[in-house]
Amino acid sequence: MSLAILQTIGTRRLPSFFYKLIGGWLGLLFFLPAIAQGQGRYTISGTVRDRKTGEVLIGASVSLREIARSGVQSNVYGFYAISAPVGSYHLLVSFTGYPTDTISIDLRRNILQPVELDAAAGTLTGVVVSAQKRSETIARPLMGVQKLTTDEIRNIPVIFGEKDVLKTIQLLPGIQFAGDGNSSFYVRGGGADQNLILLDEATVYNPSHLLGFFSTFNSDAIKDVTVYKGAMPAEYGGRLSSAVDIRMNDGNSKDFHFGGGIGLISSRLNAEGPIVKDQGSFSVSGRRTYADLFLKLSGDSSTRQNSLYFYDLNIKGNYRPGAQDRIYLSGYFGRDNLAFGQTFGIDYGNATGTARWNHIFNSRLFSNASFIYSDYRYKIRINSNNNDINITSDIRDLNLKDDLQYYIDASNKIDFGLSVIHHTISPGVISASRQSSYNSMALQKKYSLENAVYVSHEWSLAESLHFNYGLRATSFSVVGPGVFYTYDSAGNTVDSAKYRAGRVVKTYVNAEPRISVSWQVGATSSIKAGYNRNTQVLHLLSNSTSANPTDLWIPSSNNVKPEVANQVSLGYFRNFNEDRYELSAEGYYKTMSHQIDYKNGAQLIANENVESQLVEGAGRAYGLELFLKKKEGRFTGWVSYTLSRTELKIDGVNRGQWYPARQDRTHDIGVVGIYQASRRWTLSGTWVYYTGNAVTFPSGKYQVAGQTAFLYTERNGYRMPAYHRMDVAATLQGKGGGARDQGGEGAGLARGDEKRGQKRRYESSWTFSVYNLYGRENAYSIVFQNDPDDPTKTQALRYALFRWIPSVTWNFKF
Amino acid sequence: MKKGFLIVGVLVGGMACKKVVSVGLRDAPSQVVIEGVVTNGGTPQVKISRSVAFSAANSYPPVSGAVVTVTDSNNGLVAVLKESSAGMYGTRTYSGVPGHAYQLSVTVDGVVYTASSVMPRQVALDSITFAMNTDLNNHKDINAVVNFQDPPGVANYYQFTEEIGGRVLPDVFVFEDRLSDGRYIEQPLFNDSTYLQRGEELTLTMNCVDRNVYDYFFTLSGVTGNNGFQTATPANPASNISNGALGYFSAHTTQRVKVEIY
Repeated sequence: MSLAILQTIGTRRLPSFFYKLIGGWLGLLFFLPAIAQGQGRYTISGTVRDRKTGEVLIGASVSLREIARSGVQSNVYGFYAISAPVGSYHLLVSFTGYPTDTISIDLRRNILQPVELDAAAGTLTGVVVSAQKRSETIARPLMGVQKLTTDEIRNIPVIFGEKDVLKTIQLLPGIQFAGDGNSSFYVRGGGADQNLILLDEATVYNPSHLLGFFSTFNSDAIKDVTVYKGAMPAEYGGRLSSAVDIRMNDGNSKDFHFGGGIGLISSRLNAEGPIVKDQGSFSVSGRRTYADLFLKLSGDSSTRQNSLYFYDLNIKGNYRPGAQDRIYLSGYFGRDNLAFGQTFGIDYGNATGTARWNHIFNSRLFSNASFIYSDYRYKIRINSNNNDINITSDIRDLNLKDDLQYYIDASNKIDFGLSVIHHTISPGVISASRQSSYNSMALQKKYSLENAVYVSHEWSLAESLHFNYGLRATSFSVVGPGVFYTYDSAGNTVDSAKYRAGRVVKTYVNAEPRISVSWQVGATSSIKAGYNRNTQVLHLLSNSTSANPTDLWIPSSNNVKPEVANQVSLGYFRNFNEDRYELSAEGYYKTMSHQIDYKNGAQLIANENVESQLVEGAGRAYGLELFLKKKEGRFTGWVSYTLSRTELKIDGVNRGQWYPARQDRTHDIGVVGIYQASRRWTLSGTWVYYTGNAVTFPSGKYQVAGQTAFLYTERNGYRMPAYHRMDVAATLQGKGGGARDQGGEGAGLARGDEKRGQKRRYESSWTFSVYNLYGRENAYSIVFQNDPDDPTKTQALRYALFRWIPSVTWNFKF
Repeated sequence: MKKGFLIVGVLVGGMACKKVVSVGLRDAPSQVVIEGVVTNGGTPQVKISRSVAFSAANSYPPVSGAVVTVTDSNNGLVAVLKESSAGMYGTRTYSGVPGHAYQLSVTVDGVVYTASSVMPRQVALDSITFAMNTDLNNHKDINAVVNFQDPPGVANYYQFTEEIGGRVLPDVFVFEDRLSDGRYIEQPLFNDSTYLQRGEELTLTMNCVDRNVYDYFFTLSGVTGNNGFQTATPANPASNISNGALGYFSAHTTQRVKVEIY
């Protein structure tokens, strides 16, 4: 496959300026270390970790007390670097949930200073940090960013008692639920396929299990989730609406632990530990559902033959051969299996693998080189009457990338990097037996190269003025082998051209500028503004209410153009009560072009000419997001409210007029509360409310071919009823553990245990939860039909998926 | 294959709750509905009616006094259809011929609606057999299975109707050979509306229709009042009749077979 990549690059068909960009980047990489030397400034750099587990801490604040504006954040590998002239300093390192650490530094040459933060190092140290505690949300220019801590994920109840990062982010402003039984989400009015979901840098194409009830992310394995919905940094690209960067735990590099949980629907097991103490570690987590065991108990013999289960596995290992290098290997494998007796079955799942190499050049230049493999496939089996058919489809990515951060000095940081992805999409291979009523066929595979180079500059112009601006340049090439068709407006094929392997059929080049600025007004508030341009070259064709595992990803081509979005945002951010409360109000306006929809009666199944069934147009979305969060104390939580609109205008749909997109939600409210009732009990609750989806309902009826048919006028002119739901959960911590990670009193009590000389290794907890506490029958769909009891009438029938769902889970850890 | 996905949806949605609700639907202005048929086994028939509001009774006013003609483009024969009963127009002049193209013209209230359709060659139905299948409600039921040889190298579109005891079952059955060209077809007809009973007499009609009519009925199955599953973005099926009339004009071959259900 690498041969294919090299072969393509070697065809001299890629635009020449792209070559100049690659050349320029390589030159920069080669010469930068030399430029960095000798300015009378030296660098303190290192990795920030948790003392107890050895996990690196992402986004820790590191600054020098003596130098204003000297703050940097540790990157996704925990690395930081600060430069200063020769002298004596105090290095301050802080991270949510840990007391600030102060380290005395005597800077005479470049220093490697690893930092280990101790959650249990309590308030006894007595050092009051006198430097102004400036919250990162206020200072950093990036807005439209949401981070979730593992505690928030752990304590927020979701369906069946399963902790789920993708469900939890939907409680944040601007990120909307797609509804029950649907694991998609919409960010700022964008479609379900406009979210880039990364697990340790690998794209996950279908992040859902069991038709959307669960996501593919086992929160036992997850350390950090960051959602970029507004000002996306230049290192992310490829989807219009958001980037969700999910990082796995590296594994405890000090001791071995294993743990897990047993729940009503599924169970989990995890194990982690050092490979070489303090030098390497591994982490393995797996889970499986057994929802189908309930089916086996059914009295009906055909129900007993049905199956419904999923399993997944997360594996990660890392090793530090030396102080300047670290190597990671991580992988994910998941499968879902649904079967209806012998007649019909489908199995699908993702597999990802990432190999990464961190290297620190001369203490100021950090590089992460990755090789990533990502695969999503499904297989359908049909065995009914005379038909014995298998249908398979898959999308596979091979990605080579390098991301570098150059910490010039305390006010300047340059990020730059390069990424090449080779996509192979097999839309469908049908193998049918001789008896079947269908022909065997293989739709031709589609090959493409998605390349990007980016550079961005984080610049503190003044104490209160910060910029983060950059450019991402992308080039997307459709390559052979294959036959490429052109169509007329009626969808008939008018031309076809055959291309050999590696020949470029079409290239799209796009520039994506990213600019954000924050202006701090006073000590605790700031105003931020930003402009973002994003492009998307892969499109998901989905023609149903909820995302289907068999939805087809198609690449841009000679017929389908890349989607482009431009977004401006403006926000006001303020912290109260010494950063205990965080308030933000953010408004955005986004325009989208080349949005895809289908012709009426489109043939999407096994269609070599599926591109002839598509129509395109424009979209626009705008809204206001309000967010209030209480971050400290016994009671924490947040309230989020989004007022928004999203519309589409597509040729051939709704007579070419603007119409509300399905995911248009006027009001969207999320309320989360987590209460530390006592040392052992944690209570939590959530309440969500949103305006129903825009839907197409009939405005009349008529009779044709002896049947009642419904008459439709405009598209999406009606609304589903509003959705609202309350969930509650209570977690009882076993005597082995204490209230963890809340800082303050909880940590002190754990330390108290240690003082008594009983360092308990075994921890357990019980979680009780009720999903949909007041049992509202939220409408999943509304269908129209003849009244079965009265043939002279028609009626509307509302389907709701579930009412109350209680669950119990027992978690343990050694 | 589409059915397969619906089955999976019901597997999990089996715990779904259903409830009749009232939805405030608007009343669109009444539209003309034209159903025109030319067959090789009978004479041209056109039925004209109007649409009503959703909340109204299922009684669709027939349209009288329309001027209806059917023209055979190959031989130029024009038939003027007379109103035989309210809203039904027919003629005894001629039957359709496979391979010929037909034009329909209907004038209602001064508006002229036209359509054209080409009658395909006839494909013979070999036999009708019956098979037991488990339907979406986990109920075992009998389905008719149509058996025939699809001609290779030609795009063929088929439509089937079932009648029991003189009543046409309100189900849409269409099939195309896009993925099955040249195969021997054994296609079960999955009823959504009625359970077939052993011993009853089933009258099955097989029509070979043109592409526009196939597309019409394929989309129609998503917007009819019988099955519980409708598409996410329903829209009026694309009619081959001009000027915004609802309905279709089809020139098709027809074959009618009676068989006892076993």
